[in-house]
Amino acid sequence: MMLKENPSLCYQCAKCSTGCPVSKEMDLMPHQIIHLLSLGQRDRVLRSRTLWMCAGCYACAVRCPNDIDITTVMDELRSEAVEKGIPCPHPEVLEFHRNFLKDMSRRGKVHELRMMGEYNMRMRRPFHDAAVGAKMFIKGRLHLLPPSAVGGFSRWMKKLWRS
Amino acid sequence: MAKLMSKVAVYPGCSLEGSSSAFQTSLKGVFDTLSAPWETLQDWSCCGASSAHALDHKLHQALTVRNLALAGQQGYTDLLAPCAACFHRLASAQRDVEKDSEVAKAADIPYDGQVRVRNIVDFIANDIGMAAIAARVKRRLNIKVACYYGCLNTRLPRTAQSDDREYPMAMDRIVKQLGASTVDWSYKTECCGASLFATSGGVSGKLVGKILKDAAACGADCVVVACPMCHNNLDTKQEEIRAQAGIDRPLPVLFLSQIMGLAFGLPESVLKLNDSFTPVGALASHG
Repeated sequence: MMLKENPSLCYQCAKCSTGCPVSKEMDLMPHQIIHLLSLGQRDRVLRSRTLWMCAGCYACAVRCPNDIDITTVMDELRSEAVEKGIPCPHPEVLEFHRNFLKDMSRRGKVHELRMMGEYNMRMRRPFHDAAVGAKMFIKGRLHLLPPSAVGGFSRWMKKLWRS
Repeated sequence: MAKLMSKVAVYPGCSLEGSSSAFQTSLKGVFDTLSAPWETLQDWSCCGASSAHALDHKLHQALTVRNLALAGQQGYTDLLAPCAACFHRLASAQRDVEKDSEVAKAADIPYDGQVRVRNIVDFIANDIGMAAIAARVKRRLNIKVACYYGCLNTRLPRTAQSDDREYPMAMDRIVKQLGASTVDWSYKTECCGASLFATSGGVSGKLVGKILKDAAACGADCVVVACPMCHNNLDTKQEEIRAQAGIDRPLPVLFLSQIMGLAFGLPESVLKLNDSFTPVGALASHG
């Protein structure tokens, strides 16, 4: 798969890693990811925890002196890792996104209560953050009934996937 | 002149119709007070949030372009997305459409590529303007505010934008019109962890702790945000996070529209300050 960004533009100033709020949680820091990509070590990069710890804040992308959109590189690598079936080192993140998209595609909008409930069931931790959820529910911020479906949405989605 | 010709649709997004409805009701109240039109985009659907972006670029493009195309079809020139994540997703899709007209076909709905995606802070600061805000203030707020911009309000790569990426001031300027003062602090654009709050709470909790600690150290009475995710992350587990980070007092978290509504004298039924976990009550009676 071709990346839309060109990692060879990087001169390793590491400004991306310096400003990254979650670089401490990563096995490879953002500038190392870019460096390994220009060395052709794609496989190592695709197995990295980094792809799943990136919060998608775009600090790296807007600060890069060579205008490499590193956040988008992370998105592309993550999609590629999933497509290639590479084991995900942070399944809680992958499952969250999958579950979100599944819920959204039902009616074109997210039903937050069901989305979070199903996510917790999938992760086998049904009472995770239950206190926060209960308080939100009491305050009327979580609804039992889903939002009304967007007209023609599921037909539109199906048609899109066929083409 | 261009402004006279603009027709703005509001794109609420899932959070504003759900757990962050306080943002929507207070913002609509503020728009009504300022005589700014509020028309909701018909048949809008989810922008895909960070999840479509994170896993499937094509799905992200289809979901965002669908809404841009609807705005165009319904005769709108501008699409205003109060949620920072929706704004970022829609605006990045629009940027891609402008670079490559093929992207406009992503949703399989005709789209002429002409809709402008608007950010709520920019819209209030520059389209509504400071004079109009100042003219509506009924009760000047005698408080110190830390304006927290987060990431997605100001960080759209490769686009021109009206405010500084590293040290934005638009929200500070708005809040000052209300009689409040704002603090200079170091964490106004540091990330709160976004969806990591739901998946990897420990990681996100540390980030939120640093943000709140700096706001408290700078003497802020409260934090003002313009993003449902920032509000959720800074507010809902604040007690636990403050204990871990060693912060000795609560910091109420308000949406920009809530603090504006307080100064405009709007009622609780519109402001929904009680929807927050960290009590805002004491602050509301200040000033």
